[in-house]
Amino acid sequence: MTTETQHTLLSTSLGTGEGAQAPAAAPAPVTSPASAAPKKPEVSPRDVENLERALIDQSARGPVLTFFTTAILWLLVSCVLGYIASKKLHDPGFILGPEWLYRLIGLHGWAQWFFDRLSYGRVWPAYNAALIYGWCSLAGMGVATWLIGRLTRVAIRAPGILQFGAWFWNIGLLAGVIALLTGGYNSGLEYFELHPAAKGCMLLGYLMIGVWGVILFRYKRTAAPYISVSYLVAAFFLFPWFFGATQFLTTGSVVTGVTKNIVLAWYQGGLFNLWFTCLGLAAAYYFIPKVINKSIYSYNLAKIGFWSWVFLSGLTALTRLSGGPIPAYLITLSVAASILLIIPIATVLTNLAQTMKGNAGMMAWSPTLRFVWVGTVFFGLAAGLGVLGSLRSVDSVMHFTQWNYGQTHALLIGFFSLVMFGAIYYITPRLVGCEWLSRSFIKLHFLGTAYGGGTIIALFLISGIWMGFTMNEPAGKEYAFYNIPQSMLFAQAVKSYLGYFIFGIAQIIFAVHFLFMRLRIGQPAGEPTLLMNPEDAH
Amino acid sequence: MDKSSTLFPGIFGAFLLSTTFMVLLPHQQLSGLQPTVGDWDGASPSPSDVYPVKMETELGRRTGERAFAEYGCFYCHSQQIRDKQYGPDVDRGWGPRRTVARDYIYESVPLLGATRIGPDFANYGWLGEEKDAAGNPVKVHLWRNEPENDPKKPIRNESWIYQHLYNPRAIVLDSNCPPMPGLFELTDIGAAPSPDAVEVIGNRQLVPTDEARYIARYLLSLNRTHELKEAPITMKKKEAKK
Repeated sequence: MTTETQHTLLSTSLGTGEGAQAPAAAPAPVTSPASAAPKKPEVSPRDVENLERALIDQSARGPVLTFFTTAILWLLVSCVLGYIASKKLHDPGFILGPEWLYRLIGLHGWAQWFFDRLSYGRVWPAYNAALIYGWCSLAGMGVATWLIGRLTRVAIRAPGILQFGAWFWNIGLLAGVIALLTGGYNSGLEYFELHPAAKGCMLLGYLMIGVWGVILFRYKRTAAPYISVSYLVAAFFLFPWFFGATQFLTTGSVVTGVTKNIVLAWYQGGLFNLWFTCLGLAAAYYFIPKVINKSIYSYNLAKIGFWSWVFLSGLTALTRLSGGPIPAYLITLSVAASILLIIPIATVLTNLAQTMKGNAGMMAWSPTLRFVWVGTVFFGLAAGLGVLGSLRSVDSVMHFTQWNYGQTHALLIGFFSLVMFGAIYYITPRLVGCEWLSRSFIKLHFLGTAYGGGTIIALFLISGIWMGFTMNEPAGKEYAFYNIPQSMLFAQAVKSYLGYFIFGIAQIIFAVHFLFMRLRIGQPAGEPTLLMNPEDAH
Repeated sequence: MDKSSTLFPGIFGAFLLSTTFMVLLPHQQLSGLQPTVGDWDGASPSPSDVYPVKMETELGRRTGERAFAEYGCFYCHSQQIRDKQYGPDVDRGWGPRRTVARDYIYESVPLLGATRIGPDFANYGWLGEEKDAAGNPVKVHLWRNEPENDPKKPIRNESWIYQHLYNPRAIVLDSNCPPMPGLFELTDIGAAPSPDAVEVIGNRQLVPTDEARYIARYLLSLNRTHELKEAPITMKKKEAKK
């Protein structure tokens, strides 16, 4: 089958599938001319397709909006926690907000008590959990749920189960984050700190969600080759294995000693390379061709990129323990696999860039394309930093510095978040029945996210490089170790005041904008809110 | 075209490959590690010299480890010494040799750490013997973080740790470590102030809570300096004798 059929494949009839089972009385979203279709005497295949899409969107509406809403709440939480964590690095004993305000309302003592206990070591994991399991995972699952419905052309039969799963995930996460902040429980495994019971609750919720991805794939009604489907299936299918196996292996004494750290590194690799990267690339591969209305450049290239990524990236995990107390050949294996990752990275980027070729001007007016494409560029940065950081000469300097946070953030708030924002700007109007209220809001959100997030990433990397070279001063003859973080205080201060502040403001704007959408305050449906009139773009 | 008949087995194959090399192979190799008895070359001064020892035998250590993890100390303080080809950890005075898998066989969760915003703690309780003026052997703390030419040689005992937990900048200028006043409680001074009191306010004193005592005991129990066959001591001999 040729790739040209990819986005123009039409079904000639609704058939007796899921579309027919959807309640006829349910108000179909009026995002497309679909609602007008039955009134016309002649029904064109285009109308049928639009109606079918509207019915699939309708079935996904509840769970996807639940995912998005909770994800955005977690995003706001993670902005606040990220700001506190960043500030704690240059001002260890600070109180959030003006002190006189606390004095005025008589809570100064309480605030002091609370922030005294809120050390960097407690805020940082809570921030990471809110960002990774709150914002990124929930937004990713929301976008993936919608995408799977669209790509397989199957409506979700029991959206209530997905919604139930989303609440399980959220409740488990909330309990785990509260435990982290109050010092109740920290497993000691970075990015996997939450209490086992909290993680169990999240896994249970995930199974309710993820099983639908696999079932929908099984009952897909289209044979069109979407590379996005492969990425989505990989993400949905692999995540519970990584999460569940790590949970099983690291609690108790199934494995002992540093094997737990090895399992943890393996999990971190799976989390970033297979869960987030696959979800993000699935969305990028869907939305870029969709917006510019052109099929992807090469389906075969996409397949090579997918399979080489899935097989190789699972072997790169142990570069995180480079130089550590584990057998050296494991690290060598991971370094070799990391270098080979250049193949999928180059393949994916070439493919998406060739698809974009000649259409970059559309970024001037399409919010989705602007977010998704800039996110894709950040993918190149994040993945490239991963390869670079695995080289022994680079690692021996950058290991133990904030360089690895820079790489993680390039992936999470550069690549993944931007792609998810683009997807949310595309999906939400199709679910709520009105368009985004203000193009200025979208523009501000983009600027704040790209530049604020870019500042955060850049300063993590810069302070990492700075710290790495100082830390490797021969024999520490000149510097005691405590002078080294001191030398990066300025970078940390800029990261808090510029990076997290701008990033946070942009997310508040986005959250308010999304709230308007939920309240159906927006432009009338039918005319998408573009950043400028496409005719003026030239 | 990826049919489900190739997609699912393919993805599962990738997972199995990853699991085999990243989990099963290391587990198979490392799960059988046993403590060493005596020196590796057989010239041990005492044959009952077993290393490492189970942590549970040391009172309070496990609780201290939990507190260390729950305050998030491990985000800034790693517990692993790299070989000289990776970095100057040994030269900094954090340990006499690199750490290896055998050092951690009894840890419930080895807090190896991934970032160093503070110094490494793998051997915080590293003790050595020195002869005092009268020729009697005395135990001295060998772990150091100061540059070699720094005249300060602080003795890192429990009261030093309490001072540091209470207000790091009071004793380590420029420290970026957060103060932990929550680890101290106000009590009445009885006959005389407690030796561990970090501050005396009128007739009240700030003394460490049990949690702080567990943390200090845990830190001082960290000692992975026993020579192992797979990790010979690489520190300069002159310093090793000190």
